[in-house]
Order: sequence, then structure tokens, then C-alpha cells
Amino acid sequence: MKEMLKYGFILGLICFLASAVLSVVNAVTEPQIKLQKETEENLALKEVMPEALNFKPKFEGEKVIYYTAYNNVGEINGFIVKAEGKGYSFVIEAMAGLNPKLEITNVKILSQNETPGLGNRIMKDSFLSQFKGKGLDSFNQVQAITGATISSRAVINSIGNKISELKNQLLEELQHGR
Amino acid sequence: MKSLIKEFTKGIAIENPTFGLVLGLCPTLAVSTSLINAIGMGVAATFVLLGSNIIISAVRRLIPAQIRIPCFIVIIATFVTINELMMKAFFPALNQALGIFVPLIVVNCIVLGRAEAFACKRPVLDSIFDALGMGVGFTLALCIIAAVREVLGAGTFLGFGLVKGFEPITVFILAPGALLTMGILIGIVNYWHIKLKTSKEITKAGCDGCK
Repeated sequence: MKEMLKYGFILGLICFLASAVLSVVNAVTEPQIKLQKETEENLALKEVMPEALNFKPKFEGEKVIYYTAYNNVGEINGFIVKAEGKGYSFVIEAMAGLNPKLEITNVKILSQNETPGLGNRIMKDSFLSQFKGKGLDSFNQVQAITGATISSRAVINSIGNKISELKNQLLEELQHGR
Repeated sequence: MKSLIKEFTKGIAIENPTFGLVLGLCPTLAVSTSLINAIGMGVAATFVLLGSNIIISAVRRLIPAQIRIPCFIVIIATFVTINELMMKAFFPALNQALGIFVPLIVVNCIVLGRAEAFACKRPVLDSIFDALGMGVGFTLALCIIAAVREVLGAGTFLGFGLVKGFEPITVFILAPGALLTMGILIGIVNYWHIKLKTSKEITKAGCDGCK
């Protein structure tokens, strides 16, 4: 019994010290990590819609459901939506810019974990540039990559679904903005 | 000093974690798809190895033998978490490339293996050199495997294209390629070891002989 208490105490002490060290490290790195995430997101936003100046996130609870992009005179330039689809190995996160006609201006893959050399070719421009100018009715013209059908389909479908899901909301916002 | 150098070099050559001890294969197989990933993983693992070896050998007299494993794991996990947070804050690209394998360094048997087999019995200085040797050995082994796989499987070296018109052998980037590459490399290393042994005419009997 006495031994057990002693062991428990030693282990507890080690855990306490470890958590103390970790809380210090966390305090130091947390703002930096947040900053990295924000710059990453901002870069991605700029990339899918280079002509817009400001982006305003639309929240639903804690989660951002889409961004509204404004130009330099404060008019709505379009929207940016984030889509998630199940790829071959993991969830693929993509970001798509939409003009006011809800046609795609650009697509960027935010995160993916597909097979290097096969599935991760969805990151290539030759695939992503196909999305430009596509609307809800012309989505089926986007060609999947040979040998990476599942990954390509995941991107195409997730973006398509997201747009049709948000369509009414976005159109409403457009009228509201004008 | 001589013994310290020996502690350092054994991790690179005879007791190389990947080719000699054949430990920590899961991350080895998974992240050796490109050279840059291999370097990142090697440096991250070396950092954890060094930290855990120093702390464990410093407190080795305070830890009772019965609860040493949970104590080691807590110490190792602490260093892994520090490592992960630092990476997220300062090298986000590398963190994304290595993905789940950074937190999984916790269960990398090289780290626990060195804690159990070396650091908990030896003074701090020896443990530092042991950790450095093992870390460098692990990094080198990863780099060799990754270089072969990247050149054959993607036709690039450190991300730069090599030969135009060379159709990459995709299988080398995939899991079977990792096993093929590693098997052949371990074979080569073993052949070299055996040759070295016979040329020195060292023949040992018992378990020590077939290490």
C-alpha cells in the first residue's frame, strides 16, 4: 500500500511537471499558430478571388460557412465557400471563389492526404483550372483525372453540393447587398 | 572521450535504428516518400530522442523500476507535444507534410527503446551522444530510402525535376515501393556487415554472435 502511494506520487509529480512545461510552451506558441492559420486562410482567400479587397466571414454558430468578398467600393464581388469531401484516404478540403452569378472563379485545395503521385494530382493546375467559369449546371463538364477518379470526384462533388446547398442563401445576400 | 565517440557512431553504423535494429519502421515507411519529409521527420525524431534521453538519464535514480514505462511515456509525450506545437507555429508547411506522424513519434519504438536500453542506466553525457548517434542514424537511413523512392517514384530530387522524359515508376512512391526499397537496403547493409565480420575473422558464439 505504502509503495503504491509512493509510485502514484512520483508519477503524479512527473505528470505535473510535464503539464507545467507544456502550458508554458503552449502560451508561447498559441498566438503564433493562430497567426499562421489566419495568414494561410487569407492567402487562400486572396488566391481564389484576387480582385476582391475585403472578405467578411458569415458565421453559423462558431463555424464559418462562407465568406462574402467586397471590392474597393464596397460592392459584393462574390462569395467564397469551403467544401469538404471524402477522398480516397481522408477528407479533402477545398475552397472555391464564386462570382455574383455563382460561377466559379477559382478553386484551391486547402488540405488533402491523397496518395502522392496519384490522388494528389488534384492539386495540379491542369485539373483545378477546369473549374473556372463553371456554374451549377455545367459542373459535369469537369473531367476527373485518370487514375485519381475518387479524389477528383470528391472535389467536384463536394464543391457542387456546397454551392447548391448555399445557393438560396447566397442569392438572398446578393439582393440584400444591392 | 573515446567511449563517447563510440556511443555516437554505433547508432549510425552497427546499431542503426532502421537497418540494424529494425525499429520504428512505421514512420520510416510512411514519410520516406520525399527527401524533404525524411529530413523533417529525422530532425523531429532526433529532437525528441535527445530531450527524452537527457531528462530520463538525469532523473533515472528517482524513477522506481516498477513504474518506469509510464514515466518514460509521459516524458517522451511532453517532448513530442513541444515539438508539434513548435512545428505548427514556425514550420507549418513541414507540419502539414508530416501530418499524423509527428504526434506518433510518441510511440516510435526507437525513442522508448533508447530510454529503456540506454538512458535509464547511463549518465547524461553518454545518453546525449547515444541520442545524437541514433538520431543521425535514423535520419540518414530515412534519407537514403527517401532519395531512392523520390528519384525512382517521382523523378525528382528534393523537389527538383531530374531527367526529362523519364516516366516515374509510381509504385516506388506507394507502400509496396517502401517495403521493396527497405528490404533491398537492409539486405545490402547486412551483406556488408557479414563481409566486414568475416574479413576481421571475428566469430562469436551464442546470442552475441547473431546480433
